[in-house]
Amino acid sequence: AALGLYFPRKEYLENVYIDEPGGMPLLRIHALKDSHEEVAHFHLCQNLVISRARSHENNWFQIREKTGLLYLSKSLDREDFNMLSVGNWMPLSKVMLYVFLSSHPFQEKECDSATRITVFLSLINATAPACDSLTARQLCFTEMDLSFHIKENKPPGIFHQLQLPSVHHLCQNLSISYKLLAAEGVPFRYNENTSSVRVTQRLDREERERYELIAKCTVREGFREMQVEVPFLVNVLDEDDSPPFLPNGTDTADAVVEFNRKEGNVLATLTVYDADTTPIYPLESSRKKYTGTIITDDPWISETFRVEHIFDEIHFSPNGSQVRGTRHEYKLVLNKSISVTEHRSFQLDVLVNDTEFHGPERSVMLHFNVSILPVSIQFSNITYQFTVNRNAERFAQIGKICIENCMKFRGVNITYKLLSPNGSCYPVSILQGREDKYGSLYVNDSSVLHRPECKEIQYTVQATDRQSRKHTKTLLTVVLEGTLLKKEEDCPDSCAISKHRAECEECGGLGVLTGRCQWRQGSGKGITTNYSTCTPSIKTCPDGICDVVEGKDPAVCPQDCTSGNIIGGHGKGIGNLGIKSGHGICYCFPRQNCYCEKDDIKEPLCDDVCKTVI
Amino acid sequence: LAGPPSPPGLAPPGWRVPVDCVRANELCAGEPSCSSRYRTLRQCLAGRDRNTMLANKECQAALEVLQESALYDCRCKRGMKKELQCLQIYWSIHMGLTEGEEFYEASPYEPVTSRLSDIFRLASIFSGMDPATTSRSNHCLDAAKACNLNDNCKRLRSAYISTCSRELSATEPCSRRKCHKALRQFFDRVPGEFTFRLLFCSCKDQACAERRRQTIVPSCSYEDKEKPNCLDLRGACRADHLCRSRLADFHTNCQATFQSLTACPGDNFQACLGSYAGLIGFDVTPNYVDASTTSITISPWCSCKGSGNMEEECEKFLRDFTENPCLRNAIQAFGNGTDVHLAP
Repeated sequence: AALGLYFPRKEYLENVYIDEPGGMPLLRIHALKDSHEEVAHFHLCQNLVISRARSHENNWFQIREKTGLLYLSKSLDREDFNMLSVGNWMPLSKVMLYVFLSSHPFQEKECDSATRITVFLSLINATAPACDSLTARQLCFTEMDLSFHIKENKPPGIFHQLQLPSVHHLCQNLSISYKLLAAEGVPFRYNENTSSVRVTQRLDREERERYELIAKCTVREGFREMQVEVPFLVNVLDEDDSPPFLPNGTDTADAVVEFNRKEGNVLATLTVYDADTTPIYPLESSRKKYTGTIITDDPWISETFRVEHIFDEIHFSPNGSQVRGTRHEYKLVLNKSISVTEHRSFQLDVLVNDTEFHGPERSVMLHFNVSILPVSIQFSNITYQFTVNRNAERFAQIGKICIENCMKFRGVNITYKLLSPNGSCYPVSILQGREDKYGSLYVNDSSVLHRPECKEIQYTVQATDRQSRKHTKTLLTVVLEGTLLKKEEDCPDSCAISKHRAECEECGGLGVLTGRCQWRQGSGKGITTNYSTCTPSIKTCPDGICDVVEGKDPAVCPQDCTSGNIIGGHGKGIGNLGIKSGHGICYCFPRQNCYCEKDDIKEPLCDDVCKTVI
Repeated sequence: LAGPPSPPGLAPPGWRVPVDCVRANELCAGEPSCSSRYRTLRQCLAGRDRNTMLANKECQAALEVLQESALYDCRCKRGMKKELQCLQIYWSIHMGLTEGEEFYEASPYEPVTSRLSDIFRLASIFSGMDPATTSRSNHCLDAAKACNLNDNCKRLRSAYISTCSRELSATEPCSRRKCHKALRQFFDRVPGEFTFRLLFCSCKDQACAERRRQTIVPSCSYEDKEKPNCLDLRGACRADHLCRSRLADFHTNCQATFQSLTACPGDNFQACLGSYAGLIGFDVTPNYVDASTTSITISPWCSCKGSGNMEEECEKFLRDFTENPCLRNAIQAFGNGTDVHLAP
């Protein structure tokens, strides 16, 4: 059986001076019990750890097995002190002792009990100071905080002694008395005769988890009186003594699968509360303690769904005081993408189990009403008609093709294809849009636009769901309009090269819709996303996204797609692509550098550092 | 970054000046008895608890022999050549023996003996300004200017700034790993007179304090989507030799004590600030939590939510950052240009 005995604190600290006599008491260590019958036995391991891992046989310190009184068995002289200081780097030498705890008398050399604490002894290179040179603080308390932890649901007992054994031993002519200041009804008592502090009843963490008291010490020496007060804190340690429960009794949630059919989609969440705390580290072990299992015989269900468990700390207020508890959330998640043809409804049960709670109500059942709706792959009742200006250039974006609800889809991959028309006029092509939701229609061969015999071209568009191979078709008409303009000479093939409004609007370039580039006039204030620039179409470039058509040729929209250097004040776009924000006018030489600069003012360019500094 | 040799007379009796662990390892390798005992001890320590180890006769014998060798007291230097190797040797002995359950671990680094005044002296040369006339200026801006006037500081600073502000994708604002590495290079290779001025400049207005908070590009190096539990963070840090050493160094040099007026161990502000800067670029990277000018609050990116029964320990760990009088006094003293006056 696990040892029920435990220490109410983790570390003890005391000073040891040179030449203090053998028999000198140093400090009292206490243990608290699991049951009344248990008897605590204290034991020291016969090794001292001198700081930094050097160890030495312990010839000086002993502990009374029954009472936990640590004392100096043999005086520590200067030679001993020097030996124990070797390897100590700091001016103050510290040695460490481990005190072990057992419910039965210790056998010889038994040093492996799991229940142990560390006692730090500061070795002070001087003889013990005279009592009248000590301050009241030094006479009353050690430097260590008076902070303890007591497990809930355990029998009462003594857990601390306020009086310092060494001071009591050395300064017998001083009268030192203590008091414990506490609010009414607090379950701790100080006994003046023994100087011990006792917890008077079993504690319940779910009722109150922290007690803040004050230890008051009065030192009297003749007619002089000094007082010191220090905080005295007790934390109540938690054990799993509360069952899970449902907030507002809610144990059912609807989970609908429609347009989002992607693996990882969270369909519904149900919450379970527990008044106990759950440490978030180590995370995995806490997850194992609080399980959520899908109850099903259907292999399809167990393959298609999983339950994700997250938990966090919340507060309950049982009687005014706040105590910590846990909110567990169980999320029903798609474990794989579901085909568009799937259609079914069922109830999915999840069993939540608080495995460390020993009681009948250790588990609750959660219910998810799952509906998987099929979605149809079809174009809405329209046929597409786009007009294209005869002066449009290659990579001009004409429009988007999209089946019904296409932008809502996730986890559904639709392939769009143009079926070739009769004749020889094929000016346009289609490219897959982002996440395969839509198709982007663009000019692929601008020379066709110039041929007078091509006027109105009929295409059939086909959309196919990649997984189910379901497909649908609709008609698409492309009407060519406008008259051919004479091409300006000396125009670059990319709009982005133009640095001024006039040259921009005079020329065409890859991606233009009507034969002319468009100028975007920015706000002109500092480094802004609204910088001035020349673009084939303000609608698509620059919009901060390097779309599939722009990605086909770096000359179309380097403002969104460049991965090269940008010189001048700027901010880069997502994934280091494009110019997200720029200073003044931004222009680019495709496959080379981009420049952002104020046209009128000639000032030194700003690099990364200057941007962050100023 | 080698500090001046420790001043004579400060060392307590029985203090032997330690060699670095790389050198100690070479010395040990040259002696057949030492090297075989070292190998034995490392095998003993691998995955075993100290007491089980001591129960084994062979292990105990190895330990006793090694206690007399230079390996036992060896240390490492911040930013030394082969720092990681040095720390690996250090922890190969110390990890198993101290068992990693100590709340505060001893620092594997040599103590810092220089003082803040050394930095002030150098800083005033660089700034070329009289501190009295700059009372109304923005000290953090001055620090940035001073860094930009030094090639090394400017190069490493722009390296970390551009690395830490490079957006990877909509969901990933930057590469935290690369940003941390660049920050570590900056704080390891640039002298304290530049880095301390950037980190600990004193501020009278919010713009200045915000610049101070932004020094380490916190959106990448510090903040995260969620705040982990501090003990979890400490666990992650202790799993890495370098991070573990820097944390131990911070605890050694910045742990508040009642035994000195400044609350710092040995009244050494420089050592505390240096070990604070040494934490930047690791899991436990600390930073100013806001741009307040009146109160300085420092914290790593973690909270004590979800600590269960370890809340007391977690709060204690966190308080060494948020409510540490030594660290606070050291930062304020640096900002005011004052240092503890040392008795000659």
